[in-house]
Amino acid sequence: MKGYLAVMRGSIMVGVVYRFGFIFSIIGNVIYLGVAYYLWKSIYRHADVIRGLTFNETFLYVALGSAIFILLKTYMDWIMNYEIREGSIATYLIKPIDFGLYMLFTSFGSVLMNLAAITIPTLLMLLFVFKVDFTLGPGLLIFPLSLFMAFLISFYFDYFVGLLCFYSESVWGISTVKDIVVTVFSGALIPLQFFPDAMQRILLWLPFQAVYHTPLMMVTRPDQGWEVFLPMLLVQLFWTVALFIATRMFYNQAIKVLRVSGG
Amino acid sequence: MRTIGEYLRLYFIIEAQYIKARMQYRADFVISSIGMFFSSLATLGIFWVILKSVPDLAGWSLMEMVFIYAFYMIAISPMQILFDHAWQLRFHIQRGTFLKYYFRPLNMMFYYMSEMFDLKGITQLVVGVVLLVYASIQLHIDWTPIRVVLLFIALFSAALVQISIIVIAACASFWVLDSYPVLGLAWKLREFSPYPMTIFDGAFRFVFTFIIPIGFVSFYPSQLFLRPQDVSSLVYFSPVVGIGLFALTYWVWTKGVNSYTGTGS
Repeated sequence: MKGYLAVMRGSIMVGVVYRFGFIFSIIGNVIYLGVAYYLWKSIYRHADVIRGLTFNETFLYVALGSAIFILLKTYMDWIMNYEIREGSIATYLIKPIDFGLYMLFTSFGSVLMNLAAITIPTLLMLLFVFKVDFTLGPGLLIFPLSLFMAFLISFYFDYFVGLLCFYSESVWGISTVKDIVVTVFSGALIPLQFFPDAMQRILLWLPFQAVYHTPLMMVTRPDQGWEVFLPMLLVQLFWTVALFIATRMFYNQAIKVLRVSGG
Repeated sequence: MRTIGEYLRLYFIIEAQYIKARMQYRADFVISSIGMFFSSLATLGIFWVILKSVPDLAGWSLMEMVFIYAFYMIAISPMQILFDHAWQLRFHIQRGTFLKYYFRPLNMMFYYMSEMFDLKGITQLVVGVVLLVYASIQLHIDWTPIRVVLLFIALFSAALVQISIIVIAACASFWVLDSYPVLGLAWKLREFSPYPMTIFDGAFRFVFTFIIPIGFVSFYPSQLFLRPQDVSSLVYFSPVVGIGLFALTYWVWTKGVNSYTGTGS
């Protein structure tokens, strides 16, 4: 365990070196929040409540969605692709460590860095610049747990795409399709409630919504009861475990085709 | 000085070789094109979902948004297809391989950008053209010869604006360690250009119109064809904005090229 914590610290250090990048990420996020604010403001000219959400709830949902998006963006698929292409993956395989866990802790390290550098400033901005109202309720208490599972699911998507790089070098195409599917069908860009009802019913069972919609509902509508939150958490838990097992099995297959050129 | 004709001929020779080399990786081309197809339609999908719940977006119907979006897809295609090498500039500068571009009797920006021709960008261009034709038919736009000429001028100006924004962002790597965050920001801003600029007020509209003029990539010029009767006179400045911005970009590029001293190895 101690070894993996060192891995995590290492990846936080890397983040500190590239702090110049965080300034632009924050600027980008401020602009995105502004655009989202005006976009939804103009949509809510038609009615006060659309699809059961008020303007404040929708904006909070979308704004926090973008904060989670940046939080979970650790580029693990690109990093794995790089390691495989350059052959440096071999240096992990000869160490007495578990590759999947090594990647998980690297990813978690950069998530912590993102949290401090981007997500927290975004939250402060929401509070003091956009002055959104937060509702209090039991949902807020389970939000951290839900967010942690969201991180695991999001990581396993990246890890899965990374493992595909054992077979194909076209990481751009595969990773782009993954990003689009995850952001569009998860509630990262638009609340799931806005989708047509039939689509919504299907989306609620898929793993994508577990990354954004579930934790976001804990914050935007925290005043609901356990009968609402418990099934959501169970779906999240199911996907966390299922993706963990699936990627393990896939790894055992993929590692067999790996050929690293000597040097 | 070489003539434009000579440069065009040279460009075709270089790209023909490049495409031959890329075609060794057919699977990559197919997968990347699929990725491009989905990524270029994502924002339109969001508009579609929104317009299922409300009748219009700041007064613009779904079909009008499709037109604006199609205009956007076509306008950003030259940047995607012809200037994609801008993303590699930071690597060339860091590793010192940028030096090689100084040693040919060619315009440096031309030589540098000609090294890459983004095939997957063609997917976006094709989808954009199909959507533009579809939306034009649905909206009963009367394509008189003058309007067609106007469309080409408008697309040309819009493409120049988009190219300039990305190339200027890439040029940051002449002065900072890594221009990726700057490019990432410019890339993200691109996605806002099909948004109706009328939803913004104050600082945002000012910035998107005059500072980082993404409004000129799609929303403003599209009005010439959607609502010709109430076009603001600002729209007629599109070519000036496009050419002016590109001239500025070329100036920044030249400054950067002249200040670069290599990595010393």
